[in-house]
Amino acid sequence: MKQAKYDVLVIGGGHAGIEASIAAAKMGQCVGLISMDTNTIGRLSCNPSIGGSAKGHLAKEIDALGGVMGRIADASGIQFKMLNTSKGPAVWSPRSQNDKDLYPLVAQNLLLSTTNLEIISETVVEILVSGGKVSGVRTASNEEINARAVILCSGTFLNAVMWTGTDCTKGGRVGEPPAEKISDLLSSLGLEKGRLKTGTPPRIDRKSIDVRRFEPHNGDENPVPFSIHTHSVRNQLSCFATHTTSRTHESLEGGFSRSPMFTGLITGAGPRYCPSIEDKIYRFADKDSHTIVLEPEGLSSNTLYVNGFSTSLPKDIQDVGMRSIPGLEDATILRYGYAVEYDFFFPYQLTFGLQSKALDGLFFAGQVNGTSGYEEAASQGLIAGINAALYVRGEGSFTLQRSEAYIGVMIDDLVNKNTEEPYRIFTSLAEYRLLLRIDTVYDRLLPQGNKLGLVPDHVVSRYEILQRRTNELVQATQKTKVAVNEINKMLVEVGETPITEPTSAMNILRRPKVSIEQLLPMLDGVEQSVYQEHQDVAHRVDTMVKYEGYIEKLHRDVERFAEQEQQVIPPSFSYLGIKSLSTEGREKLERIRPGSLGQASRIPGVSASDVSILSLYLR
Amino acid sequence: MDASTVTTDTICALATPHGVAGLAVVRVSGPKAVSVCDAFFRGQHTLGDTPGYTIRYGWWIDGTERIDSVTASVFRAPHSYTGEDVVEICCHGGPFTSQFIMNGLLKIGARLANPGEFTQRAFINQKLDLTQAEAVADLIHAQSAVGAQTAARQLAGGFTQRIKGLRTRLLDVIGLIELELDFSEEDVEFVDRSRLSTLLSDLVQEVNSLATSIHSAEILRSGFHVAVVGYPNAGKSSLFNALLERSRAIVSEVAGTTRDYIQETVYVDGYAVHLSDTAGIRLTDDSIELQGITLTRSMIEQSDAVLVVNDASMGIDHSDGLVQDVVSNFPGLTMLIVQNKADLVGGGIQPRSAVEFGCSARSGDGLIPVRNALLALIQQQTSQSTDVLVNARQATLLVQVSSSLSSALDSLSSGRPSDLMAVDIRSAIRLLGDISGESWNPDVLDTVFSRFCIGK
Repeated sequence: MKQAKYDVLVIGGGHAGIEASIAAAKMGQCVGLISMDTNTIGRLSCNPSIGGSAKGHLAKEIDALGGVMGRIADASGIQFKMLNTSKGPAVWSPRSQNDKDLYPLVAQNLLLSTTNLEIISETVVEILVSGGKVSGVRTASNEEINARAVILCSGTFLNAVMWTGTDCTKGGRVGEPPAEKISDLLSSLGLEKGRLKTGTPPRIDRKSIDVRRFEPHNGDENPVPFSIHTHSVRNQLSCFATHTTSRTHESLEGGFSRSPMFTGLITGAGPRYCPSIEDKIYRFADKDSHTIVLEPEGLSSNTLYVNGFSTSLPKDIQDVGMRSIPGLEDATILRYGYAVEYDFFFPYQLTFGLQSKALDGLFFAGQVNGTSGYEEAASQGLIAGINAALYVRGEGSFTLQRSEAYIGVMIDDLVNKNTEEPYRIFTSLAEYRLLLRIDTVYDRLLPQGNKLGLVPDHVVSRYEILQRRTNELVQATQKTKVAVNEINKMLVEVGETPITEPTSAMNILRRPKVSIEQLLPMLDGVEQSVYQEHQDVAHRVDTMVKYEGYIEKLHRDVERFAEQEQQVIPPSFSYLGIKSLSTEGREKLERIRPGSLGQASRIPGVSASDVSILSLYLR
Repeated sequence: MDASTVTTDTICALATPHGVAGLAVVRVSGPKAVSVCDAFFRGQHTLGDTPGYTIRYGWWIDGTERIDSVTASVFRAPHSYTGEDVVEICCHGGPFTSQFIMNGLLKIGARLANPGEFTQRAFINQKLDLTQAEAVADLIHAQSAVGAQTAARQLAGGFTQRIKGLRTRLLDVIGLIELELDFSEEDVEFVDRSRLSTLLSDLVQEVNSLATSIHSAEILRSGFHVAVVGYPNAGKSSLFNALLERSRAIVSEVAGTTRDYIQETVYVDGYAVHLSDTAGIRLTDDSIELQGITLTRSMIEQSDAVLVVNDASMGIDHSDGLVQDVVSNFPGLTMLIVQNKADLVGGGIQPRSAVEFGCSARSGDGLIPVRNALLALIQQQTSQSTDVLVNARQATLLVQVSSSLSSALDSLSSGRPSDLMAVDIRSAIRLLGDISGESWNPDVLDTVFSRFCIGK
């Protein structure tokens, strides 16, 4: 039996699947979202939190392009905090704590209210191919669902196995079965797959401990939402901090002989930057304490997520270890930590639009590409959804440059670099970190989101008001001359040298210890109250002025970089004939087939002299 | 240049200077190097039957015409300078023989090499890295024995190692900063600022000393420039000649195009010393207006030292006004004062300072101390670094590295956030990579290979 034909079918309702479905549907495609269990759509499988260092940048970029993660996080958020405010503005990054029950509900409501989008409760067992193109999927009930494009967002579910100690259960998330057939089928089509591992910590019962004994971690005094769509958000709960002790480490070490990691039962590589507690104890043997943060999972939940304690050690060891942590002596574990091992497909097999190079119409997004994290998955889902829609329309693909967005950095890395461990975004991965600040995100991406039809005009108008305010404030700092006696008292107070003649407010603002707030009352024609309300605008101007020289320098670098990107390597170029390339360089180039010299220069294993040699051949 | 020319062309060029000489060498490189030569070479063995690292004697015959008796050195890929098959034909010197040989080779499919193309091929075939390729250019252009030795050391890869070492240390520094930036305050402690500051200051110092060694390098590469000033008839020319004779060196008289100055080169202990005599001073006998005489001024500015020649028979203080003028107009410039015609002064010369020497260019008395003083000056000015030879491209980049690092230090001390510091340090790392060839920069290749003349 054949069902109605879809333009785009999305397999999996995680963070990637949600963005992919909504983006494709908003771009006018008829979309089907297939999930094994539609109640699980939008679950926060691991921590009850969105954003954080660099991930917060991704969440903002998704919002600016017209994605939904930021809006869902705002609507289900119970605590909001700007991280890294003691460091530079380039690394300021928003993070929210979220209600784990509310988040999926908000997500599901959004999906249900999207026109052109249907949710299908089914398990996909086969991806159908006809004439070298994807033509749909076959379900476990042997139905064929036809579609012109398919987006695979299967997360950790492909051939997934969960481990706690030496106990092993099939499944991609506790209580949910794995997807077994797709992975082998794609392998048989010639796609190369690998195996990775991730893990999640135990959850404990809030009623079994006394939270008053901990140092509370509160949200910001003036919480700021992720999304330009959201007017305001509110803090409702605190997190609590504690730490492991040497006693914890000893008791956990007692279980190493039964650890699936250390005994070799798990062969997939885990994320180095989000290590399990046993990994941390093993690798940082000289540290006798690690930070633990207890994060409430929701307003109506007694569950606390034990951040920093991800583990797949046996249950009895988890109990003893947990109770050795100060304040958790009587803690009851509601759910034990476990590791998940799963198949992924090497992303070098994808275009920058996340389409399979081997099979037209098949797109990959999220953890199936070897990434880790909600935000990484959601951004890929958005890009895959946009490109699936463009593909169905027969239009060229939408890609972002490394100089434009963290999303561009991530996808470029995925395509060019080896996935040896789950990929996580970092600000240090961006060459132009200073340009990719969260305060520039709407300049960078909102117009593109609007052009794609994902950002409505009224949101653009709201942004344009902020733009105007920003420009007005910049002009005011340029025009205003500050008198000596007006400013010197303040300058001396903050530890800057006083001025000797009237100076423009802009020049004074360039000084590291002067902030825009201190200058606001002196600026000609500026209503202070406007900028007290729009602190983001004031802060932005502060950064623009202070960092001006650096920002200009980076823009020049970007132009140089663009020239290298325009040095095209023809798709048919043969590397095998160039004997002088290093063996590793030649293999990598042949495998990834970069489209430009710039791309070639970013492939690990391709040395600078390999690129120089290539450039001589391309002249 | 497309892929086919890089791999399949056979190139040839005259590897020795044009003109009259005892021998000339034509170098041929490429897949057909051996076969094109065999079309002309007649000896006991063909070159095709000749293993690598072997020299054959024979006749070079074009059609029926015997061009010359030659030796042909055969190198087999990859064991040659370029990494390809190479034949070096050594024929008799003079402009014609080698030209006939070249003409024949060009007729049957070899191509005239572009400037630097032999070295470029060596680079492509990974026989040399970028700084080594630069060292080849330096070696060819070296004007002093010490310069050549230093370039040879650089060719062995020493300079690359220095730069790579600096870059590795900076990568350690950036690692600390990136760690701090990438994890939230709750996860990672701030890096100790005083430790960072020490690390960076040490690096700035090293980079600066490398960058300033370009002065030493320039002297080693191009020679030591001495402006000789003095009133007419002070005996500058006889001093020149006396110095030349004493040093038993090759004389080369280069008259300026406008005949405004005379430059002569003498070799002092293997260092090239260029002595320039300025016409400006000669013409303005009594009114000395150094300020006004552009040529004289710029010549003195470009010199490493000034040598004032005084006619001691006119009085030991006869040129003191001139000395004063030089001192006030070029503060900091090293100066030697030669009291010439000491033999005409009864009782000899009593030098008034350590840089003053009495001598007689005519009799040759007292010349050795002058020569030794010049040598001491050269050694002093080249003492900064003799283990690497920094050229202009590298020095420019090193100055940029230094300014990036200083700016990072400035951010550190003025309490600016570390994301700015990271921009500066990253840019320093990239620049160091440009010097060593570890990072890829399309402009670098052109700059390096443009310094070659054909045949190298």
